[in-house]
Amino acid sequence: MRSTKGIMTVAAAVALAVYFAALTGPAIAAAGDVKNGETVYMKKCWWCHGKEGEADGPGADFMIPPPRNFADGVYKYRSSAPDSDLPRDEDLFRMISDGMPGTSMPAWSKVLDEKQRWDLVAYIKSLTDMFEDMENPPEMAYPSPAPSSPDSIAKGKQLFKDAKCFECHGEGGKGNTIKKLKEESGAKLWPRNLTQPWTFRGGNDPKDIYARITSGIPNTPMPAHAAEKTGAGKLSVEDRWHVVNYVMSLADSRMEVKEGEIVVKGVYRETLPTDENDPAWDIAEGTTFFLVPQIIQDERIYDPSNNGILVKSTFTDKEVAFLLEWDDRTRSVKGDPTSAMLAWGALGSDGVAIQTPLDLDNLASGKPYFGHGDASRPVSMMYWNSGDVEKGQSGSMFSTIGSGKKDVSDAAAAGFVSTGSYKDGTWKVMMRRNLVTDAKDKDTQFAAGKYIPIAFANWDGSNGEIGSKHTLTTWRWLLLKPETGSAVVMVPLMVFVLLVAGQFIFSVVGRKED
Amino acid sequence: MKLLKPWITVLVGYLLLKFGVPLVGSVLHPGTWPVVPTSVMKMYVFFMVAGALLINSFSEEGYNASIGPVMDLYTNPAKGRLRMGVILVVGLFGAYVAYQYVKPTFDAPVELRSVHPAPPSAAKAWGKSYNLQTLKNPFREDTANLAKHSEEGGKVYYQNCYFCHGDMMLGKGPYAEGFNPMPANFVDIGTIAQLTESFVFWRISTGGPGLPSEGTPWISAMPIWHHLLSEEEVWKVIIFLYDYTGHKPRVMAEHH
Repeated sequence: MRSTKGIMTVAAAVALAVYFAALTGPAIAAAGDVKNGETVYMKKCWWCHGKEGEADGPGADFMIPPPRNFADGVYKYRSSAPDSDLPRDEDLFRMISDGMPGTSMPAWSKVLDEKQRWDLVAYIKSLTDMFEDMENPPEMAYPSPAPSSPDSIAKGKQLFKDAKCFECHGEGGKGNTIKKLKEESGAKLWPRNLTQPWTFRGGNDPKDIYARITSGIPNTPMPAHAAEKTGAGKLSVEDRWHVVNYVMSLADSRMEVKEGEIVVKGVYRETLPTDENDPAWDIAEGTTFFLVPQIIQDERIYDPSNNGILVKSTFTDKEVAFLLEWDDRTRSVKGDPTSAMLAWGALGSDGVAIQTPLDLDNLASGKPYFGHGDASRPVSMMYWNSGDVEKGQSGSMFSTIGSGKKDVSDAAAAGFVSTGSYKDGTWKVMMRRNLVTDAKDKDTQFAAGKYIPIAFANWDGSNGEIGSKHTLTTWRWLLLKPETGSAVVMVPLMVFVLLVAGQFIFSVVGRKED
Repeated sequence: MKLLKPWITVLVGYLLLKFGVPLVGSVLHPGTWPVVPTSVMKMYVFFMVAGALLINSFSEEGYNASIGPVMDLYTNPAKGRLRMGVILVVGLFGAYVAYQYVKPTFDAPVELRSVHPAPPSAAKAWGKSYNLQTLKNPFREDTANLAKHSEEGGKVYYQNCYFCHGDMMLGKGPYAEGFNPMPANFVDIGTIAQLTESFVFWRISTGGPGLPSEGTPWISAMPIWHHLLSEEEVWKVIIFLYDYTGHKPRVMAEHH
């Protein structure tokens, strides 16, 4: 008993020490050493933020959003009181320490100790005169949050409409803007997809969202909404909390990649769903994959917009179908004036492709190269795009032996069908084909029960994604799981019977021997 | 007590495997907790249990003490009810284990891959052939200008490599999670710190597709950099990688 008590005392003491250490943070901030900060900066930070802090380092042109310009001293994410133009030291410290999700800014707490990070805060503040003779501003008050409830969320939804949030963030919050947006510097900017809180740059705690709504995001079209009373695009404290609750309610974890999930789960059914919106798709469980930009071969792309794709699959004895779903802020159709108005660079079509090895029988010795295959191991593609205003969407099948070396297949003979529709910031595309075709030299011959390498590519035509400029996944797996046979019941049953019978015999024989 | 000893040994062995091995790993590589794989664990535990049974059955009394209670359970007429219960539980447990094996799952198959395959003796890039045994970094000797070369290499890095290998050289760049295998971590003592500059030169210049088949060239997203960079840029980025991480390139013993 005594030793337990001793352990408890020690634990309490440690907890208190940690707590007080956390409290002393700002004290270290005051002591942040500009000279030490400069040393760290010149080793780790200038590569993007520039030697003078002017956001012109060698890496700066290869990232969206662009790196912060410390010479300007304008910061996007701050928790300071709304009447202050400056961020708090704690805001700078937090962005350095935790990084910013969905951007190139990593969490430096992994390699820099606390003192070094406070030194950096002192140094980057010295790169502009904005902070000269200024006190660290007080923290924003977070008065009486309205607890989340269906009523509060409904109010928030109405306010989201009234305050015109939907014009940029879209009616469902997916960032499907009706305006072309820019940073003040002119840099490309896509509004936040509010259904993906794991991509919120400044954090996804209710307080963070409240701070964004209250103070806006400087340098961007996101305005400050702080006001005594709601009206003319402004929001009262209470109403800001309702909007926070509404934004929190939009989170959709289906599009978040789950670690370790790399298999498309093909489910057996008697019949296939008829199109991409058929409720029959609900029975299939989706798997979400990261989409990463094609930075491997020229022409490369460094500023993708779409970040993930959710894939479902079902199959029958004859056919296989895929449902591909991804968040895309723009419906890009060539010749469409709205698409053209929103597009950065030349307007292309939105598109999606599924790649599988042509030959599934010789995978033990190696797979085809994940980028379009190679001469010894070709791949087979199913492709869909949103097309143009006149001809509409279209699909095709082809095989390739490397980038740009394609051999078109007879899609009709393979029973290939592709249809897509766009709604509220999401594309859903269904592709369907026969498991087995006559063109064995061009089409993958799908079979149930084996692991099939599968990869995906995606184009956002309003984001300059044309040709080799697209996002992709490397090889993942597809398993068309055969209908659960009797083995799943019979094998455990037989083991049970054998074990019970064996023990009975053992027992009977044992008693006889006695 | 004597019979308990082997079982205590088994328990100690198990705890060593379960916590001791990862602890050693965590000391060698701070921030990690490398557990013993389940399959290896099962094998060791099986042999330890078999060993304990074997040792206990060496003597007559030990054999009886180990097996006696079991025999009693299965044969004692007074323990009919308990016997029925045990027989059922053993049967159900067996059925459960069998079900775990046959139930439908979507687990990904295990793929083996050699992270540092043996390099070829020669590599082709930029239309030339390089002897990797004798190849040296031409900028390494120029000690007076090494800082300049490193900075130029850094520019190459932040315009080409950081997307995957990351700002912190930890292999955790903004797009790293989309790739499998994960990009190399240059800070780790298991990568460039163990390699010669000529090996690094070969891996960068010829990229994923330049790997031998045990390195699974078909899935590596490492570009064929001699298509995109100059020879000088590759050597300079190598200078930068060693300079930034503080690692020293491995040097091959000279043949005399």
